[in-house]
Amino acid sequence: MTGAARVVCSPVGGTVTALADVPDPVFSQAMVGPGIAVEPRDGHADAVSPIDGTLTTVHAHAFVVAGDDGAAVLVHLGIDTVKQQGEGFTLHVVKGERVRAGQPVVGWDPAAVRAAGYAPIVPVIALDAQQEALRAAETGTEVAVGDELLTWND
Amino acid sequence: MADERPGQILAALGGADNVVEIEGCITRLRCELEDGSVVDEAALKQAGAHGVMKSGAVVQVVVGPEADAIAEDIQDLL
Repeated sequence: MTGAARVVCSPVGGTVTALADVPDPVFSQAMVGPGIAVEPRDGHADAVSPIDGTLTTVHAHAFVVAGDDGAAVLVHLGIDTVKQQGEGFTLHVVKGERVRAGQPVVGWDPAAVRAAGYAPIVPVIALDAQQEALRAAETGTEVAVGDELLTWND
Repeated sequence: MADERPGQILAALGGADNVVEIEGCITRLRCELEDGSVVDEAALKQAGAHGVMKSGAVVQVVVGPEADAIAEDIQDLL
């Protein structure tokens, strides 16, 4: 894509939080790409796709959506939640499926994740992007699910 | 085209005999090893790892979004 910026929507509703505050070095040190995080609101909800594209990776607790231009966004529902082995997560999609921004991908409850001893924060990563290419919503502000969270220029 | 990374990563983890379990998780390989002390971090980075986190016998190798595919390839080598 040239010229226009990609818009990355928030997969969950909650409070915009700096990636540096995520308790996992893979995300806080931007090892797989820059981005932003959202501290989700409690209560059962669907996490949605942040962009139009194809689901290239799907786990119960995390997924990657690649746009037609190859730009891919990683959404990780909580930290170390792989250890929950899918419990409490309800997948609405399969790998390879095409999704639209805002389409429900996984149902979950951040309060249940916290009760199980994990941080429910949701890193949203622009894979292999340059930090300068991203503009993120201001930390500390509230976003609703589907609100603009990042813009990503090349 | 053959990808050399799975073999290089496995060697840097101390070889198949040292691997108890290996699992891909979106961006990283979660490896449970017999002996975490033999891990060659420099070789892992040379094989393309963005980062390595060690906690005793559990080693996480951050390889990026191809982690799931690399983990499957390493499974095939075990």
